[in-house]
Amino acid sequence: MAMSLRRLLRHETILAMLVVVALVILAAQSERFFTADNLLNQGRLMAEAGLVALAMTFVIVTGGIDLSVGSMLGLSAILVGVFWKNVGLALPVAMVLAVGAGGLAGLVNGLIITRFKVPPLIATLATLALYRGLAEGISQSRSVRGYPEWFYVLGQRDAAGVPVQVWIMLVAVLVSAGILGLTTFGRATYAVGANETAARFSGVAVDRTRLLVYTASGLMSGLAAVILVSRVTTTRSDMGTGVELDVITAVVLGGTSIFGGKGTILGTVLGLALIQTLRSGLSLAGVKGDGTIVVIGLVLIGAILVSNLFGRDGDG
Amino acid sequence: MDAVATATPAAKNARLARIFAAHGQELVVLGSLLALMALSGAVNARFLSENNLNSIFSGNAYVAVAAIGMSMVIIAGHIDVSVGSLIGVLATISGTLAVRGYPIWVAWLASIAAGIAIEAVNGALVAYARIPAIVVTLGMLSILKGGLISATSGAWITNLPPGFLLAQFRLFGILAPVWFAAVLTVLAALWMRYSALGRSIYALGGNPEAARAVGIRTKPTVVFVFALHGFFAGIAAILFASQLQVIQSTVPPNLELNVITASVIGGVSILGGTGTVVGSTLAAVLFGAIGSSLIFLNVSAYWLKAVLGLMILATVLADMARRRRRPF
Amino acid sequence: MTSIVELHGIAKSFAGFPALKGVSFDVRAGEVHALLGENGAGKSTLIRTISGVHAPDRGEVRIGGEVVRLSSPRDARRRGIATVYQELLLFPELSVAENIFLGNAPRTRWGRLDWAAMRAKARALLEELDCHDLDVDAKVGGLSVASRQRVEIAKALSQEPRVLVMDEPTTSLAEGDVSRLMAIVRRLRERGVGIVYVSHRLREIFALADRVTVLRDGACIGTRPIGEVTEASLISMMVGRSIDQLFPKVDAPRGKTLLELRKLSYQHAVRDVSLTVRAGEILGIAGLVGSGRTELALTIFGITPATSGEILVDGKPVVIDRPRVARDLGIAYIPEDRGLQGLIRSQTLRENVSLPVLDRISWATIVDQGGEVRRAREAIERFGIRARGTEQIARQLSGGNQQKVVVAKWLGTEPRILIMDEPTRGIDVGAKAEIHALMGRLVQQGLGIIMISSELPEVLGMADRILVMSGGRMAAAFERAEATPDAVGAAMTHVGESRDIA
Repeated sequence: MAMSLRRLLRHETILAMLVVVALVILAAQSERFFTADNLLNQGRLMAEAGLVALAMTFVIVTGGIDLSVGSMLGLSAILVGVFWKNVGLALPVAMVLAVGAGGLAGLVNGLIITRFKVPPLIATLATLALYRGLAEGISQSRSVRGYPEWFYVLGQRDAAGVPVQVWIMLVAVLVSAGILGLTTFGRATYAVGANETAARFSGVAVDRTRLLVYTASGLMSGLAAVILVSRVTTTRSDMGTGVELDVITAVVLGGTSIFGGKGTILGTVLGLALIQTLRSGLSLAGVKGDGTIVVIGLVLIGAILVSNLFGRDGDG
Repeated sequence: MDAVATATPAAKNARLARIFAAHGQELVVLGSLLALMALSGAVNARFLSENNLNSIFSGNAYVAVAAIGMSMVIIAGHIDVSVGSLIGVLATISGTLAVRGYPIWVAWLASIAAGIAIEAVNGALVAYARIPAIVVTLGMLSILKGGLISATSGAWITNLPPGFLLAQFRLFGILAPVWFAAVLTVLAALWMRYSALGRSIYALGGNPEAARAVGIRTKPTVVFVFALHGFFAGIAAILFASQLQVIQSTVPPNLELNVITASVIGGVSILGGTGTVVGSTLAAVLFGAIGSSLIFLNVSAYWLKAVLGLMILATVLADMARRRRRPF
Repeated sequence: MTSIVELHGIAKSFAGFPALKGVSFDVRAGEVHALLGENGAGKSTLIRTISGVHAPDRGEVRIGGEVVRLSSPRDARRRGIATVYQELLLFPELSVAENIFLGNAPRTRWGRLDWAAMRAKARALLEELDCHDLDVDAKVGGLSVASRQRVEIAKALSQEPRVLVMDEPTTSLAEGDVSRLMAIVRRLRERGVGIVYVSHRLREIFALADRVTVLRDGACIGTRPIGEVTEASLISMMVGRSIDQLFPKVDAPRGKTLLELRKLSYQHAVRDVSLTVRAGEILGIAGLVGSGRTELALTIFGITPATSGEILVDGKPVVIDRPRVARDLGIAYIPEDRGLQGLIRSQTLRENVSLPVLDRISWATIVDQGGEVRRAREAIERFGIRARGTEQIARQLSGGNQQKVVVAKWLGTEPRILIMDEPTRGIDVGAKAEIHALMGRLVQQGLGIIMISSELPEVLGMADRILVMSGGRMAAAFERAEATPDAVGAAMTHVGESRDIA
């Protein structure tokens, strides 16, 4: 692994303990919380941001950032409806194309960043506007409804007692963790984020690595979009707005350095769990959805503050 | 070149040429604005009616004012994506105070003071805690947005006292916001050109290490720039709040994007170190014109955001291309 | 004659490593005092102490006879000490005039910046430096390196210093600009400014300096009037032992030609370079910084692929458009900038060593972690790397050990052609000797080595053949027997001359 065992234990263990503490507190607050049903439902709600966060981990480890994930999600969501209802394609085809469109959007991000050397921050800020704008323009604020029954399996049904998207998430987590931690591509990702020049001089395909992580970010956004549409049974052009906050917070909370070069999938998963627990706890306490983002914002700033205080990030 | 040389016509032309080159982007924006207005006016004469022009200039003045501060932050090498939520919060604070019977000037002062304070916090986190500005302001965006909606549940503020509605005053026939935008832009531009502190912002963004080497105290300067940006946000919030008879206590959608876009398209390089506030003001007006002309040309307004996104991309790509030709 | 600035017994350590050990140094008015030493000798730390960047751990600094504590570079500037560093600290988007005066710009009565005065004063300063061709309104980012340096000098002069420290001012300059710079230095000396001239260019030192101080391994070896030294005596002061002792030259049997370049070019940085490297030989490439040596290496290695010309490996023409291809052809490059290009300092020794060969130690892209650890252990043993283990973070290793990691990393790719760019820069003498010994062993095993070095003694001591680059071209070639410091040095400073190169 690209983080020494000692450091890994320190951060992820603390995080895991926090998750446990949060769960215990919430369980004490409300007996409805700690039921299998509710926990699985939390998993269901977490899946969309979760998928995106897995890809975002790679992006941030390379030292970049992708602010456009919410817009790519929204665009893909709209395209599901458009491909199916307006273009008349079969729904499975529409779904695949929508995910593909997300991937294409991510690829465009990657090209702007690698080919034109635009800093990821501004490139994805611009595409955040562009993709959301396309979503709004294409949909003209009309939403698509009336999907066939089988479509809702993805978002609302269970398989073997566990929500379908939790299965999907589980597979995605295992695959991502495997790629990041065990493969040459994962090593390349860490190298690019830690010291791009040295990576290039060592024969690492820097641009290709970046291109792939941003495309993956788009694909995950697309996949999350399909699941989201299936869960809420409709498509709207404002879907995914603000998801970048949750995703970036989860990744950073999980120990990934915002400067690149360090981070793990396990950490991101724990970060997601903590955020979801926070959200659900706040909502049980009667705080409305918008109030929870206050807490998430505080957590984001706090997480980096603490990590800056306790260690030097980046390459010496 | 000695002192005599500058008086010759050739030297004067060279200087003029350089001014044009340095401010090319601003001129492009101005040119686009004039061209767009001419075009739209030709297609539909009502575009150039007093009402519409007022709405374009006055309606977007608050974006221009906010962009003054944002330009300074970007020139200094940072960014602020929380400004939209901030303006929503400040407008609500201001309106609430006014409705509750506080003197109008108190309501206005509160907006400005709160703006300065909140942005100073952002600046402090960026400078002293060394957290990248994007992350700080992303977090702050949520804190402000969530806080606002939780506190007000999106309720509208009505019954604003007439004295509060600054945006509806006229001076010599021109609406107050236009005056504010124009005067503040000029003052800010002069300050950034003729004050040591103003120049130090360019230095900070251009080469932080060199700035430190010449003795600029980088951390306090960063906090100051953010605080100054908060000042402009506070004024922008007042203008925004007083445009209509009611204040919707929600975050105006896309506002931060509009403000950042105005700065970038107005010639402020996202890499820092260069750009002017005059450009961002012109760009803000340009967006208003684009938005309006889309309506007049019968293009759905839903495409406005896409257009903005494309414009940012185009500007940034051009900026990158220009920089790559440099040997530096 | 009294000194303007005096340093007595200055000692300074960084993280336990002593950069300066009790050095004394002084600068008088109207003199050029050269500071000489190999890389890592402590020159940089000494001048940063004079400029107020570092506070010494021990010893005292006196200005005008009074003991002072310089709290910051600004403090030093106020007291009349200005510095022009090698890495120019300029603002690319701002004008020449503004760069010169940023931080102490002239003001009008109302306190606002007086741009007219700024521009006029800037012009006057540049006139004094005999720079009539520099436009004070031009953006610095668009200027040539030499022009930017003149802006930096004007900036230093704008505060009317009594002492001007110049750190390797000519390393990136072409011949014509070097003469202009030396004229500027002479003019300043006439005005009574005391100049500390840090350089390793002996030719310039003999042309300009009144006195010369030699540093070695953080200690002051001696300060002499220029009339009392020769090139040989200076080199021996710098190096500390005779050349044979430091560079154990091993004779290896020459084999076939491994690498051949035919009129290789990359834009304007590398022009029509032709050379051959045979198995068993060390080809030294000498030249001033900016002469194109590193650029040549980067072109061979694929970082900046050739725009014209041919590369032949084992007699067959190849196209090298990225480092991975070079590696596959058996070419390895040990870069000039160890920290930025050679290592990922935040990663472990093991990860660094395996980075260039990950694809060779993995199955279906899954890395063989056991094999990786084995490699790292072998590297530690084989190269005598002093580290706590394979998991030690590279940043924590000393310069010499870091360089060994870089060497180990690239030798792990099993190269046949090794390009080493300033291989012993900034490392202690012991590690230096080890690397030289290693080079000898490698050529005996049949590798061909291209050694790029700015240190003449090293090139003269180690290379079988020496090529000299200047202005991107091959300027001269020498066999070992005919290479003398004078001949090679002369070739280095000559532009536009090219002889037939083997």
